[in-house]
Amino acid sequence: MNTKTRQALARIGSRYPSRRSALLPALDLLQREARGHIDHESLVEAARVAGVPLSEAYGVQTYYTMFRRQPVGRYHLQVDTNIPAMLAGADKIVSHLQKRLGIRPGERTEDGLFSLETVEDLAACGTCPVIQVGDRYYENMTPARVDKLLAALRKGKLPDLPAQAHFSSQCNILLARRGVERAFDIKVYRKHGGYGALPLALQKKPEEIVAAVKDANLRGRGGAGFPAGVKWGFLPKDGNKPVYLICNADEGEPGTFKDRQIMEHDPHLLIEGMTIAGYAIGARLGFIYIRGEFAWIADILERAIEQARQEKLLGENILGTSAHFDIVVHRGAGAYVCGEETALIESLEGKRGNPRLKPPFPAAVGLYGCPTIVNNVETLANVPYIVQHGAEAYKRIGTPNNFGPKIFGISGHVRRPGTYEYPLGTPLDELLRAAGGVVGRLKAVIVGGLSVPILTAKEARGLVMDYDSCLKAGTMLGSGGIMVMNQSVRIPRVALRAIEFYAHESCGQCTPCRQGSRVVAELLRRICERRGAAQDIERVLELCATIKGSTLCPTGDAFATPIEAMVKKFRPEFEALVR
Amino acid sequence: MKITIDGRSVDAQPGQTVLDAARAAGIWIPALCYHPKTGKAGRCRACVVEVEGQRGLKESCALPVREGMVVRTDTPRIHSVRRMIVELLLSEGHHNCISCQANGICELQDMAYHLGIDRPGLRIDSHPTPLDDSSPGILRESDKCIHCGRCVAACQNGVVNQVLAFAHRGSHARVVCDDDVPMGQSSCVQCGECVQVCPVGALTLKQPRERKIRPYEARPTKVTCPYCGVGCQIDLYTKDNRYAYAMAHEQDWQEQPNQGMLCVKGRFGLDFVDAPDRLRHPLVRKNGELVEASWDEALDRVAAGFKEIKEKHGPDAIGFLTSAKVTNEENYAFSRFARAVIGTNNIDHCARL
Ligand SMILES: Cc1cc2nc3c(=O)[nH]c(=O)nc-3n(C[C@H](O)[C@H](O)[C@H](O)COP(=O)(O)O)c2cc1C
Ligand code: SF4
Ligand code: SF4
Ligand code: SF4
Ligand code: SF4
Ligand code: FES
Repeated sequence: MNTKTRQALARIGSRYPSRRSALLPALDLLQREARGHIDHESLVEAARVAGVPLSEAYGVQTYYTMFRRQPVGRYHLQVDTNIPAMLAGADKIVSHLQKRLGIRPGERTEDGLFSLETVEDLAACGTCPVIQVGDRYYENMTPARVDKLLAALRKGKLPDLPAQAHFSSQCNILLARRGVERAFDIKVYRKHGGYGALPLALQKKPEEIVAAVKDANLRGRGGAGFPAGVKWGFLPKDGNKPVYLICNADEGEPGTFKDRQIMEHDPHLLIEGMTIAGYAIGARLGFIYIRGEFAWIADILERAIEQARQEKLLGENILGTSAHFDIVVHRGAGAYVCGEETALIESLEGKRGNPRLKPPFPAAVGLYGCPTIVNNVETLANVPYIVQHGAEAYKRIGTPNNFGPKIFGISGHVRRPGTYEYPLGTPLDELLRAAGGVVGRLKAVIVGGLSVPILTAKEARGLVMDYDSCLKAGTMLGSGGIMVMNQSVRIPRVALRAIEFYAHESCGQCTPCRQGSRVVAELLRRICERRGAAQDIERVLELCATIKGSTLCPTGDAFATPIEAMVKKFRPEFEALVR
Repeated sequence: MKITIDGRSVDAQPGQTVLDAARAAGIWIPALCYHPKTGKAGRCRACVVEVEGQRGLKESCALPVREGMVVRTDTPRIHSVRRMIVELLLSEGHHNCISCQANGICELQDMAYHLGIDRPGLRIDSHPTPLDDSSPGILRESDKCIHCGRCVAACQNGVVNQVLAFAHRGSHARVVCDDDVPMGQSSCVQCGECVQVCPVGALTLKQPRERKIRPYEARPTKVTCPYCGVGCQIDLYTKDNRYAYAMAHEQDWQEQPNQGMLCVKGRFGLDFVDAPDRLRHPLVRKNGELVEASWDEALDRVAAGFKEIKEKHGPDAIGFLTSAKVTNEENYAFSRFARAVIGTNNIDHCARL
């Protein structure tokens, strides 16, 4: 190892209140140095930097899919094959790559130039099929674009193949600057009204901001819809421990690709929101836990944070006041469950992303055992508007108890898949129209990310997209990731692909999720391959019903509920396969 | 305080969990991952109960008792979760109690038995994982592992040898030694604490297996470890008065000097009691050959020897070396013998071992 690497490792260590948190970044750095994999020596070094035994470092390394034990090709091509990608024809891209490269997923070309892998959701649902090469995404891939990509890579060049991302904004709050050039630059952000809320916030007392957010009834956009102000109110009042704010930017739920719109194109909106939230809850340090695949977005955030520091919008004595707040960007390394807030905290502490038993909740015992608030990117991006315009103005957007704007990510069989900012309570039909309408005839739709029950076309008719209405309709608004399926889709295939995802992502801690997902996957595979029996359908239903509510964290329900719904609502399709 | 479990009023202490209180009252709740020494883990989900006025299932191993709480452990919902857990754990078909060293002391087997599970109903394809018999004292059969995490917690936090950890994730997760090397090549010190806490046959001792002794055939006798001054309390298991294996004495473990743990010597080093070449009688050299003698004859010879040396060369020509393995009282007696009877201060001991 050279001295530059040593220095970089030391710098990583000094970023965190606890040395152990350096484990993931250290592994990431060492993997980059070693051209794509981590060998025994690197692991020993990472363990030393983080101060953990070798066994634990190995446990952490093997937990995260982005850390590899074996060398990969110079260009490691990772194709997302999750459901939105599947609906967009990712299978064709995989087979095209196989043909062109002469290797199968998991293999490397003889010249060592390419290796191929199929991976789970990359949060590019609106621009699928997507191939990740190194730190870059190549989106909207077609066989022709794949050929262009390969040709450029053969010449040693990462080409520019811009994606066609559709978006529109009716509220002009979260995606207000989505089409604005260089909106990631602080000057442009300011020119478009940015950092207008922060000075106002700093003039108020922290309690007043908490009260305004409570009053606005800002519901968490990460999935559960829990009111942010209420959550902030759970912090101990007179604690002497530091308080941490964590922005959840893991965006791993298949069908969800909304947070990246904010972070990639308007990072200062998030930074402003976090700084206000940090001030409100008394935190001096905040983290953005961003999924590792979003490496270039993490770079954008880091540059934006540096700009904000330069302008005294972050750091000590913000804008000359007595407020201090700073932000560390922490990259995940490939693990869906790390989106769950306690798993995220464990991961940020340099551990395997195993969810914790609750209680205690993070507001009482969170990061490093200190009171911690975890909020989603989109939630925090709502905060500046509330501070600047007041709760009353905010409540004029949306429907009662479901206020504010929401970014809906629409993928699958629509003409213009993309992200659309509409008020909560917008009818599904209107959103589908915004996305150019359904291609073919609507068969089914999943409206809140993969973890919510599927709706038949009939059930989806007239659906209003807010938390309460979705619940009443027997599903959930979740993350607002809408996956549209037309008549060409075979639901048993979707169910199998869904359970394969969860079985791949289960942290493996608890029996019903670890082994239940595996057994359900095996049963559904049997059914789909016409090796199953009618009894297998019963077994799937029984298992799903029993798994629900029995697991350590909500991930068990996150697969048992949607799989059960698919089997129940489209049962004849499953039965046809076992006859 | 009083709580109600399945309609029965039960005594409970503040700070206790529902599982503790139920067990103290003789109410059976299966618990595969909780162990008093490693604490709550919430992993197995076997111990879930329902609490009146609360939604969903709660893990009783992590649920503190509250005055007046009303708990149910016998609802159809709980029963179906328990059954599912056993079915899932057996679904890969790697368990065969007939030949298992844990047969009779296995908590998974007990749970299946209590639930009346005759034959597991779920079966999926699974490739067997090779055994790890690389270490001298412990056999690892990871296919029987139920991922309770007790061994990892024990090795990391109990004995702090930091050898075991969970690696990989989901159903690929498994317990590894260091960075996934065979136990015999790892930093494992063979303290056996992982075996001590393993609820099933995934980690077993080789000694009883080699002797073909099943755990339920052996009887424990509480003894003090003869090796060092800590005084670890050991349950020495014997069959027909012959050595079978050793476990740390776990009853009231918090009050024992070893807190229910052992080191490699206490765990594996007591088999010498049955060694065929062990000295069983005093031997006296006659015409250059060692022959069996009575204690009287042997001690007379030693006394005569001492006397002769002392007369010829003085008491300081004699030295005494005692042992850290014996008790303080024995060491005291030994030093009195050296100083008062022989008249020398040449006395030392081996504080090693
Ligand atoms: C398996 C699982 C995955 C999750 N993934 C995410 C995620 O990627 N992003 C997110 O913001 N919340 C995710 N959540 C929800 C978080 O646990 C947490 O509730 C949320 O970040 C809180 O923020 P909010 O209140 O602002 O919504 C996930 C939850 C579960 C159970
Ligand atoms: S349900 Fe259990 S196994 Fe699944 S992710 Fe949560 S803690 Fe891990
Ligand atoms: S571990 Fe338990 S259940 Fe499995 S074979 Fe051994 S005794 Fe039977
Ligand atoms: S024998 Fe002791 S050191 Fe070795 S793995 Fe087991 S607990 Fe750890
Ligand atoms: S080896 Fe035994 S103690 Fe360790 S996790 Fe597996 S079953 Fe539990
Ligand atoms: S004993 Fe409670 S979850 Fe395992």
